[in-house]
Amino acid sequence: MSRPDHNTYREWLTLDADGMLDGGERALLDDHLASCADCRKERDETLALDALLQRSALPVRADFRESVMSALPTAGWEARSPRAWRFTAAVIVLLGALAAALMSAGSAPASSGLGTLAAVGGMLQAAVVAGAGLLGASWKGLGMVIDKVIASPVSLGAFGFLVLCLNLFLVSLIRRKRPVGAAARSRIGSKL
Amino acid sequence: MTRGTEQPTDEELVAAVLGGDQERFGDLIERYQARLVNYLFRLLRNADDAHDLAQEVLVKVYQVLDRYDPQYKFSTWLFRVAQNAAIDQIRRRRLKVVSLRQEDDEGENRDWDLPSPERGPYGDMRNRERGGAIQEAIDTLPWEYRELILLRHFGELPYEEIAKMKQMPLGTVKNKLFRGRQMLKEKLQDFLSD
Repeated sequence: MSRPDHNTYREWLTLDADGMLDGGERALLDDHLASCADCRKERDETLALDALLQRSALPVRADFRESVMSALPTAGWEARSPRAWRFTAAVIVLLGALAAALMSAGSAPASSGLGTLAAVGGMLQAAVVAGAGLLGASWKGLGMVIDKVIASPVSLGAFGFLVLCLNLFLVSLIRRKRPVGAAARSRIGSKL
Repeated sequence: MTRGTEQPTDEELVAAVLGGDQERFGDLIERYQARLVNYLFRLLRNADDAHDLAQEVLVKVYQVLDRYDPQYKFSTWLFRVAQNAAIDQIRRRRLKVVSLRQEDDEGENRDWDLPSPERGPYGDMRNRERGGAIQEAIDTLPWEYRELILLRHFGELPYEEIAKMKQMPLGTVKNKLFRGRQMLKEKLQDFLSD
C-alpha cells in the first residue's frame, strides 16, 4: 500500500475513532502518528470531541419504556397474528366439545362415538337450513318494500328525495376540513 | 433464535412481537430509547418534546410493524421514521431557531443543562455554558452535515446504515462526517480541554 498524504491521515483519525479502519490502515496511521505532532494533537481533539458529545447525553425518563408500552394501541396486524388465531380456534374447539358433550349426554350410551358426530352434523345442518331460510325471507321482504316504493308516484318521489339528502350529507362529510393534528398524524403515518 | 447469552437481534425481536409476544417490543424500546430520545432532543431542542415524539414514533412503528422489511436494519427504519416525524413537528410548530444564549439570559428553556459531576456554582455555570455551546454548534452546522452528525453521534448508527438511509455512497458519508466533526471542533475548541 502506498503511503497516504497528510490530509488522508487526518480523515483516517475520524474513521479510526469510529472503528472504521482496517488493520493495514491502522498500522500506517500509528506509524504516521509517531512522527507527526499535528496529527497527534488532532487525534486528541477528535477523542475529546467525542467524549464531550457523549457527556452531553440527555438521561431518558425512568418510566419511558412503561409509558410507551401502555400507550401501544391494538395494531391491525395483531388480529392476523398466529396467537390471535390460536385463541379463536381454541374457543371454537372448546364450544364444539361442549356441544358434543351435551348432545351425547342425552343420547344412548351405545351410540357414543359416531352418534355424537352425527348429532353435531345434524345441528350444523339445521343451522345452515335456518340461515338460508332467514336469508330468503330477507330478500323477499326487500322485494316487497321495493314493490311498494315504485307502486305510487308519491312514495317514489319521497324515496328519491331521501336518496338525494343522503348523498348531500355524504358530500358534506367528505368536503369537511380535517383538524390540523389529524392531518399531521396522517402525514407521519404515510411516511412510515 | 439466538442461543446462550447472545442477545436476540432486532429482526428476531420484531419476529417475536409479530408472533404475538408483545413484551419483546419492550426490549426493542429498551435498546433504542436513549439513542432515539437524544437524537430527537438535538433536533427539537426540548427534552419533553423529544420524549413525547420518541413515544409517538415507537407507537407508530409498532402499528405498522408488519410492514417492516427485514432486509433492512430495524435501526435504519426507526431513525428514518424518527427523522420524518421530527421534521414534520419542526415545520408544524414553526420552531423558532433563536440563540440559546438569549434564551438562557431570559431564564427559559434550560433543557441543555447537562448531567455533570461538576458541583458548585462555577461547575453549574460551566456545565450550562457547555450544554448551550454544544447545541449552538450543532444548530449552526449546515443541514447536510448536521443530519449525519446527529445520526452518527446521537443515533449511534454505523456509517453503512447512514449511507443506506440517506442513499449516499459510503465515501460521501465518511467525508461529510469528517467535515462536520472538523466544524464542531472549531466551534467547541474552548471546551475540548475540559
